Amino acid sequence: MNINIDAEKENTYDAIVVGTGISGGWAAKELTEKGLKTLVLERGRPVQHVVDYPTMTKDPWQFENAGRLTPEDEKKLYVQSRTKWIGQDTKHWWVNDLENPYTEVKPFDWIRGYHEGGRSITWGKQTYRWSPMDFEANAKDGVGVDWPIRYNDMAPWYDYVETFIGVSGRAEGLPQLPDGKFLPEMEMNCVEEVFRDKVAEKFGRKITIGRVAHLTASLPHDPSRGICQSRNMCGRGCPYGAYFSSNASTLPAARKTGNMTLRQHSIVHSIIYDEKKGKAIGVKVLDAETKQEIDFFAKIIFLNASTLGSTFILLNSISNRFPNGLGNGSDQLGRNLMDHQYRTGAEAEVEGFDDKYYIGRRPNGIYIPRFRNIGNDKTTDFIRGYGYQGSGSRDGWSRGIAEMSFGEELKESLTTPGAWKLGITGFGECLPYSDNRVTINKDKKDVYGLPTLSVDAEWKENEKAMRKDMREKAAEMLEASGFKNVNMYDAPNNIGLGIHEMGTARMGKEAKTSVLNKWNQVHEAPNVFVTDGAAMASSACQNPSLTYMALTARAADHAVNELKKGNL
Amino acid sequence: MTMNRREAIQRASLVLGYALAGPAIAGVLNGCKAAPELGYKPVFFTEDQAATISELAEVIIPKTKTPGAKDAGVPRFIDQMLKEIYKKEEQDEFLKGLTAFESDAQNEYGNSFFECSPEQRIAFVKKHHDAAYSKGVDGGSSGWWNAGSGGEKPFILKVKELTLLGFFTSEPGATQVLQYKQVPGPFQGCVPLAEVGKTWAT
Repeated sequence: MNINIDAEKENTYDAIVVGTGISGGWAAKELTEKGLKTLVLERGRPVQHVVDYPTMTKDPWQFENAGRLTPEDEKKLYVQSRTKWIGQDTKHWWVNDLENPYTEVKPFDWIRGYHEGGRSITWGKQTYRWSPMDFEANAKDGVGVDWPIRYNDMAPWYDYVETFIGVSGRAEGLPQLPDGKFLPEMEMNCVEEVFRDKVAEKFGRKITIGRVAHLTASLPHDPSRGICQSRNMCGRGCPYGAYFSSNASTLPAARKTGNMTLRQHSIVHSIIYDEKKGKAIGVKVLDAETKQEIDFFAKIIFLNASTLGSTFILLNSISNRFPNGLGNGSDQLGRNLMDHQYRTGAEAEVEGFDDKYYIGRRPNGIYIPRFRNIGNDKTTDFIRGYGYQGSGSRDGWSRGIAEMSFGEELKESLTTPGAWKLGITGFGECLPYSDNRVTINKDKKDVYGLPTLSVDAEWKENEKAMRKDMREKAAEMLEASGFKNVNMYDAPNNIGLGIHEMGTARMGKEAKTSVLNKWNQVHEAPNVFVTDGAAMASSACQNPSLTYMALTARAADHAVNELKKGNL
Repeated sequence: MTMNRREAIQRASLVLGYALAGPAIAGVLNGCKAAPELGYKPVFFTEDQAATISELAEVIIPKTKTPGAKDAGVPRFIDQMLKEIYKKEEQDEFLKGLTAFESDAQNEYGNSFFECSPEQRIAFVKKHHDAAYSKGVDGGSSGWWNAGSGGEKPFILKVKELTLLGFFTSEPGATQVLQYKQVPGPFQGCVPLAEVGKTWAT
C-alpha cells in the first residue's frame, strides 16, 4: 500500500508534456520556466543537439551509392519515401513504416519522426503568421466552426515566439501576411529579383524572400546558436544550431530551469480519467524498451504528440464518462483532417544572366503571399486561396545526362553553370470536412500491441478547383515576366504529403461542435491541453508551425495562471 | 516529318540490337581474353562486364588535365549501385542492355568493347549515344528523350547517368572538376560568375 503511494508520489509532477516536437518543446520550455515541475515524455530515442546528428558534416562522397536508399530501406520506409527526398543522409529521422502501421482507406501519406525533437529537426522552417482574414474565414464562409480566437489574441504570442526562435524575413506591410519580428532577410538571386519586379509591375503582387526560422544574426538571449552558413544540409541536423529545432532551442531552455524531467522511449497511449474526481489525472506510458506499463500523474497535461498522435491518444482514452474517446462528446475528435496541397505550379527558363551566379546553398526560397479572393480579386471557382514557394537557380552537372555530348566536350561544358531556371509551387488551403477523418482501429496492432489509426480523407471539389488555378496562375506570372519555355507541372499529391496534417481536435466556441476551447483546453476535461496541429479549425495556406508554437505559449501561460488561481 | 514515340522506341531497339540479345551471344562474352586490371573486385559484374563498364565510363568522362571516371572510382560505384540499389528487374534490364551493347561491339569490331582501341571505343559510344538522342528532320531531338522518356531507357543513357552521378558526387569530380564548399558562409545571391568560378557540385 505504502509502496504504491510512494510510487505514485514519485511519478507525480505539476505538469506532463507529451511529445518533444515543435510544439512539445515550447510547452516544456514555457511550463518549466514558469516554475512547474514538468515531465516531458518522448516516444522515441534521445537526440542530443549536435552529438546525435550522425551525418551532419558528411560530404557527398562519404555516402555509399550517392546516398540513395536501398530496396531494403524503401521497404521499411514505404510511406516515408513517398516524399522522394529521404536518402542515407536523413533516413534515421523517419519512422519504420512496418513497425508503425496505419490503414489508408484512401491514400494518405503519414510522414513521421519518432525521436526526441520530432519533426522540428526536419521541418521546412518556413515561418508565416496567419492574418486576421484567416481567423475570420470560417465564420465568413460558414465553413466548419468559427475560430474562438482572432488575430489580436495571437499577435503578442507571435511576437514572443519569433523573438525567441529567430526568424529572418522582410517586412512588407501586407494585410494577408502580417509582418513579424524579423532578423535580416536572406538575399534573392538575380532572376528572383527580376521576377519580383515584373510581378509587381504587371500584377501589383508582392513577392518576398521566404520568412524562415534560420538565424541571419545572432540571438542575444541564446549565444549557443550560430548564424546560417548556407550548407543546406539542415535535414541532417545543424552543427551551428542555426535553424530552430526543439533540440537546439526550447529543450535546452527547459533543461536549464532544472524543472524538466525528460523521459524517452515513453509511448503515451492514453490519458487516465478519474471518474470520481471528474478529471484527467495522468497518462499511461508503455516503455518502448522494457515493455512495462507505467502511470504518471500531474495536475495538467499538454498533448503535443503531433496532430494524429494526440488524436490517437484521446481516441484511445476510454472511460465510462468518455466511451468514444476523451473529450469527444461533440463527435468531432478525429474529424476535419486537413493538409496543404502542393507540388503543382510552373517553371521556366530565364535568359540574360549568364555572367551571374551565387555563392551558397540558401535553405530558403521566395514566397508569393496569397492574392486570390482578396480585395478586388474574386473567383467563383473556389473559396480561400494559396501562396507560392519557389526559387531560381542555374542548372548544375545533372543537365549533362540530357545533353548531346559526352567525353571531353561534355566534361568541359559542365564546369560552367547551365541555364537559369525559376520554378514556383502553390501551397493551397484545404477546407475542414467532417468526413475527412481518422478513427481508431482495434483490429490492427502495431509492434507494441497498441491499436492503430485508420485514415479516410481526400481532396474535394474546392481543393481540386484551386489546384488548377495554382498551376495556371503560376504559368501566367512566369509568362508575363518574359521567361521562356514556361512549363506547368502537376505531380501526384496524396493528402498528407504536405506534412501539414491538422484539425482533428479542433478549437471552437462550443463543446457540442468542437473539442477544444479558446485556450486549447479540452472542453470536457479542462486540465488537458492540445496545442499541436490537431487544434486547428481551418488550415489557411501558410505553413503552420509558427501558429502551433504561438498557440502553445499562449495556452501554457493560461494554464499556469489557472493553476495559480486553483481553477485546474 | 518527326518520328512518333513508337517509332523512336523501335529505332532505339534496333540500334541497340535487342533482337540479338540472349544465349546466342553468351559464348562470345565467355570466350574473351583476360580483362585489364580493374583496380577493384566487382560484386555484381563479371570481370569482363566490369571491364566494359569501366572503359565505357572513362569514354563518357575521360581523364584530361583533371581526373576522369576511373580516377574517381566510378566503375566501382556503378558495380555497387547495380548490386545494392537496383531492383531485380532493373538489374536484368541493365544486363540485357550490356549484353546487346557487347554483341554489337563484336559485330562491328570483332572484339569486346574493352578490347577495342580508344578511337574505336569513342566512335562506338558516339554511335549508341547519337541513336539515343537521334535527331528528327526538324532538327530537334527525337530519340528516347523526345519519346517522352517513355519505354525502356537506352543502356547508354543509363551508364551515362550512373557515370555522371558517381563522378560528380566523388571527391575528385566535386572538388577538382567542379567546386564544392561544405560551409559556404552567408548566402550571396547575385555575384559575377567570373568571381565565383566553376559550377557548384552541389
